[in-house]
Amino acid sequence: MKKTIQAILRHVVLFLLAVIWLIPILWLFVTSFSGYKGINTSHFFPETWTLDNYAQLFLRSDSIVQYNKWFMNTFVIAVFTCVISTILVLMVSYTMSKLRFPGRKSLMSFSIILNMFPGVLSMIAIYFILKTFNLTNSHIGMIIVYSAGAGLGFLICKGFMDTISVSLSEAARLEGASEAKIFFKIIIPLSKPIIVYTVISSFLIPWGDFVFAKLMLNSGIATDWTVAIGLFNMLGKSMIAKYFSVFCAGGVVISVPISILFLIMQKFYVEGITGGSVKG
Amino acid sequence: MKKALNAIGNYFKNIGIAFVRGDVWVKLSAVLMGAGYFARKQVMNGIIMFLVEALFAVLCVGYAAPNLAKFGTLGTVQFEQVFDPLTMTSTVNDYDNSFLILLNSIMALFLILVFVLFWIANMKAVYRLQVQKENGEHINTFKEDVQALFNEKFHITLLTLPTIGIVLMNILPILVLVAVAFTNYDQQHMPPSSLFTWVGWSNFKSLFTDSVTVTFGYSFKKVLTWTLEWAVLATFTTYIGGILLAKFINNKKTKLPKMWRTLFIIAIAVPQFVTLLLVRNFFADSGIVNTFCTNIGITDFLKNVGLVPANLSYIPFLTNPGWAKVMIVIINIWVGIPYQMLIATGVLMNIPEDQIESARIDGANPLQIFVKITMPYMLFVTGPSLITDFVKNINNFNVIYLLTQDVYVTSDQLLANSNAKEIDLLVTWLFRLTNEYYNYKMASVIGIVVFIICAAFTLVTFTRTIKGDKEEEFQ
Amino acid sequence: MKKKVLATILATAMTVGCLTGCGGGAAETPAAEAPAAEAPAAEEPAADAPAAEEAPAVEAPAAAAEGTDPIANLIAATTGTVTLKVWASEEDQDLTTKLLDEFKASYPDVTFDITLGAESESTAKDTVLTDVEAAADVYSFADDQINELVKAGALQEVAANYTFDVVNENATGAVEAAAVDGKVYAYPMTADNGYFMFYDSSVFSESDVQSLEKMVEVAGAAGKKIAMDISNGWYIYAFFQGAGLELTLNDDGLTNTCTWNAAGGTDVAQAILDLTASNVLVDMNDEDMATQIAEGNVAACVNGTWRAETAAEAWGDNYAATKLPTFKAGGKDCQMSSYSGYKLVGVNPHSANVGWSMLLAEFLTNEAAQTARFEARGLGPSNLAAASSDAVQANPAISALAAQAAYATPQRVGGNFWSPAETLGQILASDNPDGTDLQELLDTTVEGITAPVE
Repeated sequence: MKKTIQAILRHVVLFLLAVIWLIPILWLFVTSFSGYKGINTSHFFPETWTLDNYAQLFLRSDSIVQYNKWFMNTFVIAVFTCVISTILVLMVSYTMSKLRFPGRKSLMSFSIILNMFPGVLSMIAIYFILKTFNLTNSHIGMIIVYSAGAGLGFLICKGFMDTISVSLSEAARLEGASEAKIFFKIIIPLSKPIIVYTVISSFLIPWGDFVFAKLMLNSGIATDWTVAIGLFNMLGKSMIAKYFSVFCAGGVVISVPISILFLIMQKFYVEGITGGSVKG
Repeated sequence: MKKALNAIGNYFKNIGIAFVRGDVWVKLSAVLMGAGYFARKQVMNGIIMFLVEALFAVLCVGYAAPNLAKFGTLGTVQFEQVFDPLTMTSTVNDYDNSFLILLNSIMALFLILVFVLFWIANMKAVYRLQVQKENGEHINTFKEDVQALFNEKFHITLLTLPTIGIVLMNILPILVLVAVAFTNYDQQHMPPSSLFTWVGWSNFKSLFTDSVTVTFGYSFKKVLTWTLEWAVLATFTTYIGGILLAKFINNKKTKLPKMWRTLFIIAIAVPQFVTLLLVRNFFADSGIVNTFCTNIGITDFLKNVGLVPANLSYIPFLTNPGWAKVMIVIINIWVGIPYQMLIATGVLMNIPEDQIESARIDGANPLQIFVKITMPYMLFVTGPSLITDFVKNINNFNVIYLLTQDVYVTSDQLLANSNAKEIDLLVTWLFRLTNEYYNYKMASVIGIVVFIICAAFTLVTFTRTIKGDKEEEFQ
Repeated sequence: MKKKVLATILATAMTVGCLTGCGGGAAETPAAEAPAAEAPAAEEPAADAPAAEEAPAVEAPAAAAEGTDPIANLIAATTGTVTLKVWASEEDQDLTTKLLDEFKASYPDVTFDITLGAESESTAKDTVLTDVEAAADVYSFADDQINELVKAGALQEVAANYTFDVVNENATGAVEAAAVDGKVYAYPMTADNGYFMFYDSSVFSESDVQSLEKMVEVAGAAGKKIAMDISNGWYIYAFFQGAGLELTLNDDGLTNTCTWNAAGGTDVAQAILDLTASNVLVDMNDEDMATQIAEGNVAACVNGTWRAETAAEAWGDNYAATKLPTFKAGGKDCQMSSYSGYKLVGVNPHSANVGWSMLLAEFLTNEAAQTARFEARGLGPSNLAAASSDAVQANPAISALAAQAAYATPQRVGGNFWSPAETLGQILASDNPDGTDLQELLDTTVEGITAPVE
């Protein structure tokens, strides 16, 4: 008897916690169907239900809401970002994990410290560097911003590669395979989980960043924006009263694919972080 | 340390040797970089070296020299524009843009540094070739040299591209930031219309000055304190919370652990800026939580116990310093726990069962097991990532900025005089200084301080892990 | 629809008329150095312009001697596509798109590539100053930013007018707001960026709204709130200025002189404390006001024309607006002051097409455009002719603004004002939680406001 009560209690607690964690998400979801465009401050659930916010997102583009365009822009940036980032990360982590050369450890310490430096601090400099190459206000510039420094984030991936037995590559080396061949033919296929993790996590970066995007894509032209700037913009002073529900709808729409990717990724995330970064 | 000095010593000794013992071709290589290669019949290498030198010379004359010439003053010609009303066109003089001069000079200096290193490497390489030839050793053909790049020199091939990216996105911006800290680049001196120039250490001085009008010293102390408090609080609350939640869900008595886990993960799968902006409106002064609290009497209750000022009809979740700090930490727990739970779940699965089992047999209660076995193990395994989290929290821009921007007004007058707020972290303060007040010089100084703090924390933890031989353990 | 067409025709005709009507004249008097108030083109009767409707088509400038008609010169000198970037606020997009089409149509010989971006007037400065060269060629902004924009070299001086006389056709206040050191730097677009009192006439009578104390009493009895963004330098100014205390910009254009801590200052601070103590007058930001008015909790608020729509919708026939009330400081009634605000259109001197940008800026702010803007969005025109129309006069928000104008001052204040004033407001509105001595509180605020700018 005591056991059943304990078991029930345990699940009740879990349920309450889950509710706390999900209430804001639920609010996002229900508000996205609200017939009232502003923030409804007196009722949790909307008083009138409608699909109009979604229609406005997808069908009625104006100079403020260009959701389809934003989605495409972000998607293209994200695809290129994740390809370039993953390649860079793999290159660095393989070098650091499997190759031995003078200065390797100092280089690693140096890059770990460098990676701790938050991008926000040097934003303005990055902006003007890209401006010298005429890359501001362009999606190529955004891709560079998101992926160029990716090589520094090698720690988790390197940790994973450390766990790949060295005997495999030794054997290949004895058979006369070049280092390049070992990299492509042995290490990469074995690193699949961590590659998936790197791909997805770098794919997600452009969807969540508004600081850099806002600075770089400063033409004011809505069709150039990414989803994050567009949504962020909807909550501006003069807009919030007319666009809050639309913002919620936009939030729901990007959350769906991202949640799916995230759920796939978390498996590899755990694998990577426990097999990788954790032991350093 | 001694080792490092030795290494540097050897490095320069080797060039000296190359100069002293090198033959005429090696010496000629100092001026004409391909020479040493041509002498050993490595024509392709010679041509490449020569081209690199030529390119560098062109860049020096066309790019580096004009910029570096103005580096000392950062420009002297002010922007001037004359508008001709009759033709409706304007003519602009050939003005100096201090920021571009600074930026280009730094890039130029960097280029020169890279070239010098390249030149030294070249000297050593041609001397090695000479020695090889004298000893009658095999000298690589060009094809063999290229192949080496995919074999014993594969690390060079692999690191080239990432390094270029990192130099462009991380190193150069940091150097620019450091340089700006020594200038008077602010709203009164903004290129292209105005010039700025070097001012030495005066910005660093004002960061540590406390006077009636310059309150940066005061604000810096306050903001730094809160930044560290926040980083500690945010890191440990989510860490402990994550472990507890993971243990709770992983417990054998919990039915459907996967479902519960997924429920918590959904909360973080929505992009952070969406949830944070949403939560900010959720807890707004006239937001829905406040309506709810007023309706069921919580607001009045809090007023009676003195937690809410009497003249307010709402709970100032994100507008009162005390409340806002607590709320930010709580909301961060909300955001952070699912992540930590994920990691903890992974780690806990690997926990040695036998230890727990034997402890249980010895009569240890669950709490003792948690404190004596689980926590030490977790700390051992996740130690480094804990420090990473700590540093990330020092720079947790998103949570603070999205929750308080445009909402929070400071009620500390001294903070207000230097545009800081009680809930600001160093990063958000810096962001506001640049984005709203264009005080780039002070922002750079703060940036440098943040960097030093973070670097110190990282260095302490990671050198241990890197230096240690643990990475070979699994191989 | 008919109206629109008419407006288009009128606008086109006007421009065309101006082309021939005053083009040459304006160019002959480029007396740019003249102080703003005395118009550079004052001698030229630009008011003739609308009369010249029967003027020939654009090609006509051929009649004007080569070199004396700037617009003809410009058209002649323009060979390729004219690329322009324009920023207008989010709410102004539809109207601006229409105006841009009209602008293009009025120069049929020139190929334009005009892109329209969204940048709210209140934040234009932030985006422009980050990188002036990347900013739009023509952009709109609120007049409080003009000092900083001019200092940063982000505004082209309005050295000459081409299609109408900017100085004389706009309200004096608007032109003053567009000028720095006697030189005009922008084109006035609206004259409604100040604040006044909106109220629900079913709660307050016309005599109630004369005094803030009375309003608090009435609203308290009705269980409603009066909202004002007290923790905001822009609004709290109303109290101190109203009590005769001073806040001015020094001649250096950067630092402030402030006497809020002089005799009488503590009375004002005490008055704010007393008024907010009852929790009827509440400190609330603009976004919250929008929802709270709609929810019916707020029955009066200090705000500007941009909230007129929300208020009119919520209160229906009872929607009313008037000048700000008086408040009691140290036992005597003081009329609350305010900032008179204007929205301006500026031209970026870093534009590759300064000439066309100036013409476009004129086009976006001429009488027809201002009338259209009023009709579309209820924004008060700064153009005298447009402002004198019956429809404008009948608009409650705009007439309230006009009533308040007698007590309003133009906004000239250095950057160090905002943070300390905001914090002062926050402290007073939250009932001075630390119990700081009011004189001390004001002294610290004034020190912050008057701090030197290094």
